[in-house]
Amino acid sequence: MRPRDKWFNLALRDCPAALENIDFWRQSNLEPMVVDVVLVQRPVNWDYASSSPKVAFEQNFLSKDRFPVVWKSDSDEFGCDGHSEKVIERWIMRYESKKGCKEGSSGNKRSSTITSHALYKKSILLLRSLYVTVRLLPAYKIFREINSSGQIRSFSLVHRVSSSVEPLVRRDEAEMQQFTFTPVDTSCGKLCISLSYLPSISDTTSESSTPMSPQFITDYVGSPLADPLKRLLSASLPQYSPSSPFGRRHSWSYDTRMASPPSALPSPSPTYSESRTLHSKFGSHRPPISSRYSSLEPAQVHTKDTGYDEYFPSPNFSPSPSPSPPVGSNMLKVLLRSDSAPVYIPASRLGDAPLYSNKTVLPFSPPLQATRPSLSLVERSLSIPTTAGKLLSLRGEETARPSGVKISLNSSPHKSSSRSFSRLSFENSYDDSEFSGPFVVDDDDTIDPGSRPGSSDRSGNLGMQHECVRSQDAAVGALVQMLKKAPPLQQDLNRSQYVSKTSRPEKSSNQILDHPPHASSNVSSFSRVSGIKTTSDAMEELKGYLDVKQI
Amino acid sequence: MNCEVCQLKELDVEYFEIREVLRCILHTVFFHRALGLVRPKDIHLELFEITYVQCGDAELEKKVDEKIDQFIDRVEKHPNKKNQICLSFFEVKNKQATWFTHKVERLYWEQWYINLNVAQHPKPHSGKSHHSKLTVHPGESASDERNARRAALESSLHEVLFQIIKFVNEKKDHIPPIPNKEGVSFPYEITISSSSDSAFGMDMIKRMLQTGHPTMLS
Repeated sequence: MRPRDKWFNLALRDCPAALENIDFWRQSNLEPMVVDVVLVQRPVNWDYASSSPKVAFEQNFLSKDRFPVVWKSDSDEFGCDGHSEKVIERWIMRYESKKGCKEGSSGNKRSSTITSHALYKKSILLLRSLYVTVRLLPAYKIFREINSSGQIRSFSLVHRVSSSVEPLVRRDEAEMQQFTFTPVDTSCGKLCISLSYLPSISDTTSESSTPMSPQFITDYVGSPLADPLKRLLSASLPQYSPSSPFGRRHSWSYDTRMASPPSALPSPSPTYSESRTLHSKFGSHRPPISSRYSSLEPAQVHTKDTGYDEYFPSPNFSPSPSPSPPVGSNMLKVLLRSDSAPVYIPASRLGDAPLYSNKTVLPFSPPLQATRPSLSLVERSLSIPTTAGKLLSLRGEETARPSGVKISLNSSPHKSSSRSFSRLSFENSYDDSEFSGPFVVDDDDTIDPGSRPGSSDRSGNLGMQHECVRSQDAAVGALVQMLKKAPPLQQDLNRSQYVSKTSRPEKSSNQILDHPPHASSNVSSFSRVSGIKTTSDAMEELKGYLDVKQI
Repeated sequence: MNCEVCQLKELDVEYFEIREVLRCILHTVFFHRALGLVRPKDIHLELFEITYVQCGDAELEKKVDEKIDQFIDRVEKHPNKKNQICLSFFEVKNKQATWFTHKVERLYWEQWYINLNVAQHPKPHSGKSHHSKLTVHPGESASDERNARRAALESSLHEVLFQIIKFVNEKKDHIPPIPNKEGVSFPYEITISSSSDSAFGMDMIKRMLQTGHPTMLS
């Protein structure tokens, strides 16, 4: 029992966010405090790619007491980004000082003689009825619905705190019901609380949400709901918050003021495919993720990868090989370790643009259907003119090209990512000749030329070792695969030498393939010894190959 | 001291709904009248989309449940249509003790009347066990009607809860000072009565106001 609980005889959980946010009110408590509870709804035909980063904060609802504070100035019902926002509750708290205070409905004119005892009693009563009232309002139903399951909803709740009463949409205002709590008189004024709320939120959630949400998700390619097996898998897995590519696509640029800790929503599919977790993770904010989930062993590969993915399409997308990506230190370490020296690939693959010549194209994670939607997202986020045609042509170009070059070192994080898929799906899709395709990555952006995997690995912190090593495995695997599929080179070059060189990495790659998604410790111990060298060796090979190709 | 009386809107309930409805209402009242230190506990009704708040006091919960059991027993034995539960709060005044009088006097300062109209037809499945949605006959053809009735009751219950909140907000001055002790609630009693006569409620009120000492089953 804390002293604070005794103030009003109400023992509540801590709510630091709420306490912080009343600071502005403390400074001038004559201003009203307006708390709006806003229902944010994505349209049914919502286009993920074009959605604004605003979505990112939507999932940050946690509880009524823990809404993130969202300071917004616009109160449009329909934002230009296709989201509909509706104020469904508005609480106005106001302290009226005695001067301008006409006696209210309480009829209590003994304010001068009000004892603190009576004041406390009335305050306690006010708080009790507040507490009960909140739970009777429609928003609470929505709140419960959102939190009751891990299901992905097309709507969410946020709240805004401000000191001015913004006008509501007229239609809503007319529909709103009013409730005024009896003011609590103090010796120098009175505390007034009034509430406006929509008595029924008919147009959206209450009735339609349950049937609508799954339907909405099912439409989405690669949804876990589409595949009962995966749903089953996901249900049996620990619930944590891995990120999805979609979350990343949106989160990289969303406003930091809206950033808040990742929602604790369980992800539908932690192991299978990131893409399949869809938009459940919009609220996740990546940078601290590796430390936050450090105890979740299976999650590490994921979180690392997502972190990587999140950052490479940074808004300041730059083709320069500068080793200063906007990456958190942990991320950076991982990246530095997961690849060896930067590889300059002279082959101009992207429309002969010399700017892109040092980029590599990812053989994207094998499950095609799952990854494709994210491609367009990435493209958009990179501000590359997006047309399906272009996308396809790029893809075509990729597959038509001599295949050796198409797999780059940069694929390593993705390889390790794909290892977290079920083995079956991994192998199946691995045989697929049509890789999901063009995924432009500025390789050098994220790789420090001076950091060789060997050195950085040894000096690295323990927490990241696993990921690091796995990434190397993955890199080697990818490389081997790549080299194996380079028939033109094998014809041109000294073949025997090539084959002998690749035999060692192949071993580790097999190991990768044979391992179930999470059992990687053996791999780690193996490749920690041998993988480092093979990686760099393989790099050399690749370099040589590329040089030869150029000639 | 004046005694404020709140007559809550009558609710049409079926037998198996009695427990939830009564719990919800009684605890909501108690939450506003147990002004000692409480640790609120949200309770989501099983039958209705309603969340109410309990004080988190085991003793209180137990007493409320006991009274509800009594009420349900009574409804079972005497299937009168109209049933009423009265929750009264009082202060205890020590009187000069004499040989032939009570030592304490109860001064009632608030009474809440919960009016239930229990439907006659349904036969209880399992006595006083906790009912849930599952106990509803699922395959009945009248399920639509049942759902409509359920929705109506939910809405009415919602109204009753708001009625409580409004009353609590409007009437504050009659509440005695909060006792400076650990007990969470003011002294209270819960009385049960039933009658097929619609006017009985008023009789009860009159009697209680006059005597200040309801005698039935308390």
